[in-house]
Amino acid sequence: MYFNFLYTIRLKLIKLEKLFAGTSLVILLTLSLVQVTLRNLFDFGFSDIDVITRHLVLFITFMGAALASEGNQHIKIDCITSIINDTLKQKLKQPLLIISSIVCAVFFWHAIRFWLGEYEYSPDNEQLALYLSLILPAGFFTLSFHFFLLSATINSQPTIIEQDE
Amino acid sequence: MTIILVLLIILTLLGLPLFIALGAGGIYASIESDLDPVGLIIELYRLANQPNLITIPLFTFAGMTMAAGGGPKRLIKLFDALLGWMPGGLAMAAIVSCSFFTAFTGASGVTIIALGGLLYPLFIQSNYSEKFTLGLLTSSGSLGLLFPPSLAILLYGIVSGTSIDELFLAGIIPGLVLLLMLALYSYKSALVWHAPAHAFSLTKLTRSARETVWDILLPVLIMSGIFGGFVTVTEAAAVTAGYALFIETVIYKEIKLYDDLPKILIDTCKLVGSILIILGVAMGLTNLLIDTQLPSRLLGLIENHISSQLQFLLLLNIFLLIMGAMMDIFSAIVVVVPLILPLALRYNIDPVHLGIIFLANLEIGYMTPPVGINLFIASQRFGKSIFTLFRSTLPFLLIMLIWLLMVSYIPELTLWWR
Repeated sequence: MYFNFLYTIRLKLIKLEKLFAGTSLVILLTLSLVQVTLRNLFDFGFSDIDVITRHLVLFITFMGAALASEGNQHIKIDCITSIINDTLKQKLKQPLLIISSIVCAVFFWHAIRFWLGEYEYSPDNEQLALYLSLILPAGFFTLSFHFFLLSATINSQPTIIEQDE
Repeated sequence: MTIILVLLIILTLLGLPLFIALGAGGIYASIESDLDPVGLIIELYRLANQPNLITIPLFTFAGMTMAAGGGPKRLIKLFDALLGWMPGGLAMAAIVSCSFFTAFTGASGVTIIALGGLLYPLFIQSNYSEKFTLGLLTSSGSLGLLFPPSLAILLYGIVSGTSIDELFLAGIIPGLVLLLMLALYSYKSALVWHAPAHAFSLTKLTRSARETVWDILLPVLIMSGIFGGFVTVTEAAAVTAGYALFIETVIYKEIKLYDDLPKILIDTCKLVGSILIILGVAMGLTNLLIDTQLPSRLLGLIENHISSQLQFLLLLNIFLLIMGAMMDIFSAIVVVVPLILPLALRYNIDPVHLGIIFLANLEIGYMTPPVGINLFIASQRFGKSIFTLFRSTLPFLLIMLIWLLMVSYIPELTLWWR
C-alpha cells in the first residue's frame, strides 16, 4: 500500500519532469529562432530572450538529469560493476540511491540559501533572472526527491511503465 | 580526509553517478577549506552566463531528430552509391556515414545503435569478415568527434574558454586524415577477401543524392554560416535544430509532431541533462582545486622531471589514453581540462591544438577497455562479448594510435589556418 502510493507519486513526478523538460526545449528552440531572425533580418533583439534561453538550459539540465536517474542513464565510472554479479549489483542500488538523494538534498539546501541571498540583493533590472534562478533549488529538490522515490520503490517496482509522453 | 576521499572513489567505482560523487567531493572540499558550500551553487549558476551553452541542447536535438527521422538509412544509401563500386567501398561508405552522423549526435552511442544495425548484415552479405565488420562498426561510433558541430568540441570550448569556431576549424583536417587512413585500410582488406563491389551507377547516385540533398545541406550550412561569418555558433545551433525538425517533419515526413516529437525531446533532455549536470556540479569542485593551487603544484612536480614540449606531449598522451579508457569523454573534459590547461600553456601548447589532442585521445579511449563505452554499446547491439569486440578493434586501434601521434606532433595539421 505504502509502496504503491510512493510509486504513484514517482509516476506523476516523471510525467511532470517530462512536461517541464520537453516544454523547456521547445521554448528554447522557438525563442532562439525568433532571436536569430530578429538579429539577422531586422538588426535588433530582445535582451530578455537571452536571459530566458540561458536559464532554460538549466531547466533542461535539471529535468533531463532527473529523467536520466529514472532510466539509470547517468554517466558513471562503473569499472567494478561490469565485473560483479547481478545479485550484488542489485543490493548496491538502494544505498547508492539513498546517498544520491542525500547529496542532492544538501545541494538543495545551499541552493535555497543562495537564492534567498540573491532575492535580498538583486537589483531591479535583474528580477527576471532572479525568478528564473529558482530552478536551482527546484532542480535539486526534484533530483533529491526522485532519488528518494527510486530508493524507496526500487525493490517493489524496479521498472517503470513508459507513460505517454 | 583520506577516508572520505577513498570512500567516495570506491562508491564511484561501484556505480554512484559521477555528478553525485563530484558534488559530494565539492561539499567536502568546501567544508575542509572553511568555505561556504554556497560557492558551489554560485559556480553552477555561472553556467547560465555562458552564451555558448545553449548550443549543446540545440545541436543534440538536431542529431536526435535526424537519427529518428531515417537520416542514417539515407546517408548509407548515398555514400554506398558514391563509394560502393570501389574495393572496400561499403566500408568507406560506412566510415563516412558514421562520422557524419557522430558529428551530430556527439558520440553518445547513437551511431552504433542507429547505423550499426543497418550496416552489420550488409557487411556480412558483402563477404566482409565478421572480425573486420565488428571492429569497424565499433570504432566508427566515435569517428566524427572532431567534425562540427561535435558535442565534445562544444563542451571543450565551454570548459576551456577556447573559441569554438577555431576548434571546429582545427578539427577538420585531423578528422579527414583519420577517415583517409581507415579508408585505405578498408581498401587493402577488401582486396584480400575479394569483397564484391557493385558497379557504379550514375542513376542510382543521382537518385540517392536527390533523396539526401536536405541532409547533406546541413553541414554545408553550418560550416559556411560559421566560417563565412554570417552566424555565430549559437545562431547556427538554433538554425540547425529548426532545419532538422523542418526537413524531417515537412520534407521527409518521417517524424510526426504528436507521435514522435515528444520522445525525441525527452531523449535529448536526458542526454543533455546527464552531461550538463556533471559540468555544473564539477565547476565548483574544479575551482576549489584551482584555489588550492593543485595545478601549480602539479606543474612544479612535472617541471622537475620533464623539460621539453615533446616529453610533455608524450606523457599527456599516455595520461589521456588511460583517462579515456577509464572515464566517459564528457566527464573527462569537465574534470581534466581545467587541471591540464595551465600545464599545457606552460609548455607552449596552443589551447586549440591541446583541444584536438585531448579529443583525439578520448576518441581512442571510447574503444579501449575497461570502460570504453563503444565496446559496451556494440556488445549489446551485436550480441558479442567485450573481448571479441576488443580483439576486432585492435587493427583500428593501431591505426588510430598512429594518427594520434601525427595529430600530437604535427601541430600544422590542426593549426594550418593560422
